[in-house]
Amino acid sequence: MLKLRIIPTLLFNNLKLVKGISFNSWRTVGSIIQSVRLYNLRKVDELILLDISATNQNNKIDLELVNEVASECFMPLTFGGGIKTIQDISNLLKAGADKICINTEATKNLDLVKEACEIFGSQCIDVSIDYKKNKNNEIEIYSNSGKIKTNLVFEDYIKKIENIGAGEIILTSIDRDGTMKGYDFETISYVSRVINLPVIASGGAGEFDDIYNLVKNSEISGLAAASIYHFTDKTPLDLKKFLISKNIPIRL
Amino acid sequence: MTILNNKVAIIDLEIGNIGSIFRALKKIDCNPFLCENKNSFFTASHIILPGVGSFDYGMSKLIEKKLYEPLVESIEKNKIPFLGICLGMQLLATKGFENDNETNGLNLVPGNVDKIKIKNKLKLPHMGWNEVSQVKKSQLFENIENDKDFYFVHSYTFDPEDKSVVVSQTDYGDQFVSTIAKDNIYGVQFHPEKSLDNGISLLKNFLKC
Amino acid sequence: MKNTNYIKYCSNCIIPETRPNTEIDSSGLCTGCKYYTYRSKIDWTQRHDELIKIIDVYKSKFKNNYDCIVPSSGGKDSTYQVLKVLELGLKPLVVTIMPDMLTPIGRRNIDNIKNFGVDCIEFSTNKILRKKINKFTLETVGDLTWAEEVSVSCETVRIANKMKIPLVVWGENSENENGGPEKNSDFFDNIVQAHNHEWFEEFGGTNGLRSSDLLSIWSDDGITEADLLPYTFPSKKELLESNVHGIFLGYYIPWDGHKNAETAKNNGLIVYDKAVEGNIVDYENLDNYQMRIHDYFKFLKYGYDRVSDWGSLGIRRGRLNRDKAIELSREVGGKYPKTYLGKNIKEILEYIDINEDEFQNICEKFTNKKIFKKNSDGTLLYDNSGDLIKINYDNPK
Repeated sequence: MLKLRIIPTLLFNNLKLVKGISFNSWRTVGSIIQSVRLYNLRKVDELILLDISATNQNNKIDLELVNEVASECFMPLTFGGGIKTIQDISNLLKAGADKICINTEATKNLDLVKEACEIFGSQCIDVSIDYKKNKNNEIEIYSNSGKIKTNLVFEDYIKKIENIGAGEIILTSIDRDGTMKGYDFETISYVSRVINLPVIASGGAGEFDDIYNLVKNSEISGLAAASIYHFTDKTPLDLKKFLISKNIPIRL
Repeated sequence: MTILNNKVAIIDLEIGNIGSIFRALKKIDCNPFLCENKNSFFTASHIILPGVGSFDYGMSKLIEKKLYEPLVESIEKNKIPFLGICLGMQLLATKGFENDNETNGLNLVPGNVDKIKIKNKLKLPHMGWNEVSQVKKSQLFENIENDKDFYFVHSYTFDPEDKSVVVSQTDYGDQFVSTIAKDNIYGVQFHPEKSLDNGISLLKNFLKC
Repeated sequence: MKNTNYIKYCSNCIIPETRPNTEIDSSGLCTGCKYYTYRSKIDWTQRHDELIKIIDVYKSKFKNNYDCIVPSSGGKDSTYQVLKVLELGLKPLVVTIMPDMLTPIGRRNIDNIKNFGVDCIEFSTNKILRKKINKFTLETVGDLTWAEEVSVSCETVRIANKMKIPLVVWGENSENENGGPEKNSDFFDNIVQAHNHEWFEEFGGTNGLRSSDLLSIWSDDGITEADLLPYTFPSKKELLESNVHGIFLGYYIPWDGHKNAETAKNNGLIVYDKAVEGNIVDYENLDNYQMRIHDYFKFLKYGYDRVSDWGSLGIRRGRLNRDKAIELSREVGGKYPKTYLGKNIKEILEYIDINEDEFQNICEKFTNKKIFKKNSDGTLLYDNSGDLIKINYDNPK
């Protein structure tokens, strides 16, 4: 049986590993290599590495870093941040990323995603969506690490991505990110049920019982988290053991 | 033959993550090298075709790089042990049906490659860790326990005509073939280079073939 | 498309943005400096009164037990803490969780505390397991002294719990002194930092590694939870009955490590005969030969070290100007730790069964390549003495 995936996220900003709250108040956390080595120990299923400065600062993609992390990282590695062209993707896969994740560029040009899927295969092309809910509880999609509100209509956008056939969708609630108050159950469970692509939940992972509730009542394929692993004593292995005790298929 | 003496040719179709397989092989102290042209096959003790990409694109790259014939010759005539990973296994087929195209494969193991049937709201691609159930003994799985999780990421599967080549199956909707072995030809649908300890063991076993 | 290729420093001190938990705000000030300016606005008399109120709760509460525990390494701050606690009229139990490679100076300073007339406990962890942990933590999280730092927090509290001594008096809250996240500082009067489970998890120097990680990889070798107790913070449930409560003296008293050193020296503290290698003071980290390696890795990972810390503390208190601090960080800071307190690195590494080549490989792995100068082929640039050079030691003009 296919297992639910536990996926820590590492965010970096130029020189350092960071974590924020609702995409703000960025705090420098430990060293990247240290984090990767720890996650190796904890039998995580995959790792997501995001360069949050790339798009906004128009930086070159840091292939050296990807190479360094990939050489330390025994599990599948997804890289995101500043991907704009087919060449970017090719370079990243060569540097050691197993999957890449497109965010801002996809909001402007889904054809890139389509072309990438045709060339590289959909299995290594993820689309990441960052969103907030406005006061009418409508979902608004943001780009550029949460700085620019797009005019995209959420339901249309996810359907388009599904039709193109990307590998999976990473869905991040900006409101909940870094709060450790729980994933956005409503939105994430909804998307996981209406879309045929694997959906990874991101933003707000906190209490294990909450997480279990999301897993039990949705069809998500993976759980991404960062703050909970940086700032509390909960480790990915703890989460795995907890979910196994609740009969969720998890790899140990 | 000790692993150290091996010279493993890795075919690069320029569309995948070559780095992972190189790193995994270096971890087990063998000598992987990039297979650039047909001459590379002369010195190879083993050949690996890793794969992330689409069937038609993969085949066209093999042809474009003039590797098609030398590869077939090395496998069929010279009997060099060959391991196809994911797309690399699928390219062994007679035909692949991807991107609405029907493309001819290497036809080294008769059978077709087709999309996984989505049943009961299953997601595609099949992505993540899943159990590999060994149905037949094979050197590839020596010392690897049955039903261990390996890492999969694909939307298509290979269905060989001759069922005696099937070494393992995996459950996703229906049962599909996750490992084949026919003489010196091996194919795995999962990614051993990303499957941690069990994947490394499998690669080691392949290098002993 | 140019990548940002300079390290941002605080405009007042020399702490870099790359230091974990440090925040440099839009005006260019780091949280350490902001806290220091706030200090002058704090009503220290009121804080002292708060301390007295707390002390009164515990003073002579138990006829047949200690009023509190003071964790002590014998160093300048510990010496000051014990003296202060005695001055406040408390009857402390001094608990020393022993370091790995105890130096002669360290031994004398631990003993010096006994001259103040206190009961003392010295606790050493299983040496064989400890060496194994040291080697592992160096390789995995780039921290040779993880075990020391973690055991001081965890075992001290464990002892407090076992002996039902409810008050543990810690010294400085390092997150305030050196600049931690603003939301966690004592900037706001209604937040009082306690030394507890949450503080330990976030700021206790774990580098993310937990004793449960060690258990998961070594349980097949026969290591059990019991073996790792000194490195495991007691659970909230465990602490409920004994109601152990940890306070930071540094909240109630305007902390100054330099002044503490003066007080301690006047009360028998022995210091080094010159500034210790890699630092600009002679009174710090005198008890464990391994400490310089611990500090060196902070430099490799984050580009700051003891010189940055002490230089910055000095700048804030007007003892040093910024240019001088930068000069010192360039000339004294960040050097490969060939010796410490006179002992050669080979000997220090031998203790945990590592040779220097292996050590240098580990150093290279943990080096944040982005903050150091490189050769044209992309490899790290080492100067004639074998030391790395940061890409910048101050903000660009």
